[in-house]
Amino acid sequence: MRWMRFVCALVLIEPALGQSLKLEKTITVPPDAAVRFSAVSAKGDWIAGACQDGRVRLWSFPSGELRQSFDLQDQRVSSLRFSGDGALLAVGGDRGGVGLWNVPSGKLKLQLKGTEPVVALAISPDKTLLAVARKDVPAQLWDLTSESVITPLPARFAGSLSLDFSPDGQWLAGADADTDIRIFESRTGALRATTSDLLLETFAVVFSADSKSLYVGGADKTVSVIDVASGKVVRTLPRQPYVVSQFTRSPDGKVLLALYFDERDRAKPAPVVVWNVAEQSVQVQLSQPDLTPNGGGFSANGRVIFTSSDGAKLQVWSQPNRGK
Amino acid sequence: MAWYRPPLTRREILGKGLGSLAILSSSPVLGGAEALAEQRETQHRRPTPPNEIGPFYKKSAPKTAMLRSPGDPGMPLMVRGQVFNARGDALPNAVIEVWQADHLGHYDLDGYRYRAQLPLDPTGTYQFDSVIPGHYPDRVCQSIHYLVLVPGYKPLVTQLYFATDPVFDGDPDHNFGRDPLLHSRDLVRPVVLAGDPHDMQAVVHFDLVLELL
Repeated sequence: MRWMRFVCALVLIEPALGQSLKLEKTITVPPDAAVRFSAVSAKGDWIAGACQDGRVRLWSFPSGELRQSFDLQDQRVSSLRFSGDGALLAVGGDRGGVGLWNVPSGKLKLQLKGTEPVVALAISPDKTLLAVARKDVPAQLWDLTSESVITPLPARFAGSLSLDFSPDGQWLAGADADTDIRIFESRTGALRATTSDLLLETFAVVFSADSKSLYVGGADKTVSVIDVASGKVVRTLPRQPYVVSQFTRSPDGKVLLALYFDERDRAKPAPVVVWNVAEQSVQVQLSQPDLTPNGGGFSANGRVIFTSSDGAKLQVWSQPNRGK
Repeated sequence: MAWYRPPLTRREILGKGLGSLAILSSSPVLGGAEALAEQRETQHRRPTPPNEIGPFYKKSAPKTAMLRSPGDPGMPLMVRGQVFNARGDALPNAVIEVWQADHLGHYDLDGYRYRAQLPLDPTGTYQFDSVIPGHYPDRVCQSIHYLVLVPGYKPLVTQLYFATDPVFDGDPDHNFGRDPLLHSRDLVRPVVLAGDPHDMQAVVHFDLVLELL
């Protein structure tokens, strides 16, 4: 069996990558604090981990030095999101609470209450707006200056599954459980466009660097490109065999990192795919048997990095050579 | 994505060695009289508790009452019920969509297997044939998802659970909380065995009560 796994690993890795993954860093956590999922700041200088012991740990990268540790008191962490400049970390909990911490000071900037589990968070580029999606209820747009709700962001039913502000700060996109994608004016929450072309739930949404396109992906296993101005799906990238769970746009906007999961068991290993946005093709697929990615982003020098957990170890993997 | 940890893994659940059929003959199964009594609920009805939508809702499901295909493995299941408002008025103009995993716990993302928009009769009664769903590995319990839309009423997103689910160990009253996503005992319905020993099916009654907007 062992040789078969080795052959499988080669088959998975060789065609697209031609080289094995590089283990960039192994971070040791307490035995009861395995990292369930992580978030990487846009500059790749911070990694936040939602740990089994209920705490969020913040490590600098690439040093792996633990810089902060905080929690939502009685709540299990269900969502993490850095601001675009990495200066704020939003943390959502499974009882609806949201905490906003300054990075790296660890000073709590804001705390919100709620009841339903937080499933997605987004912070506007100027850090004055926060979008909060809670399970099965309409998402909310918050003014962080006045600490008040600007407006709910209703879907036909249930709530939003993923949120993203456009880099120019003009738009907020929500991927909703009713399978529609909604684009709002970020300042007011006014609905500007609805895309109803998708049949299955979308779990990931991210704007292009120029704010003119929106990449969405989910249970249909594709990456669809939506024109923000018209709200129409203008392209669909080649389908993969796994469900899309998360997108991260590279700092230069040229590639898109997509995390996937196996629809039959989310705990099973699944690949990370790097999409070339201009060519609308897979640039590289990164995978390894027994490795289930649980977060990802880009390092300071532009390399793809992603994390996986192995008990009390958080492993940070990279795609070698890119950025050299 | 997966932000909760079920108290039991699928392996642990299956390790209990209790197949659906074996459980069907144990205590939580109501007799016909009890099931009928349950159907004769009072005029004023409690709204059906909501439950989470996921996983894997897919819109534009075909309009049919037959979700299983000939020869499909798994325990045949018939579910029936009626759609009401809280005053007990039938709502025949409801649109009901259901979706579920197959007997192995797999959802069909490519097509519409075990997905349907259900026809209703003029009394707001629905009925469909399927199989008892298997355990989806990311969830603790077997369930069937419902989306119910009626103009003028709050959309209802909920799930039907089975009293015979091995997770409940024959005692859903005490054990329904083993699924951290199941907050109401009302959603766990008794399962009645019907038919002759060579052609049995499970029958479940599940009324749906909507709240005004």
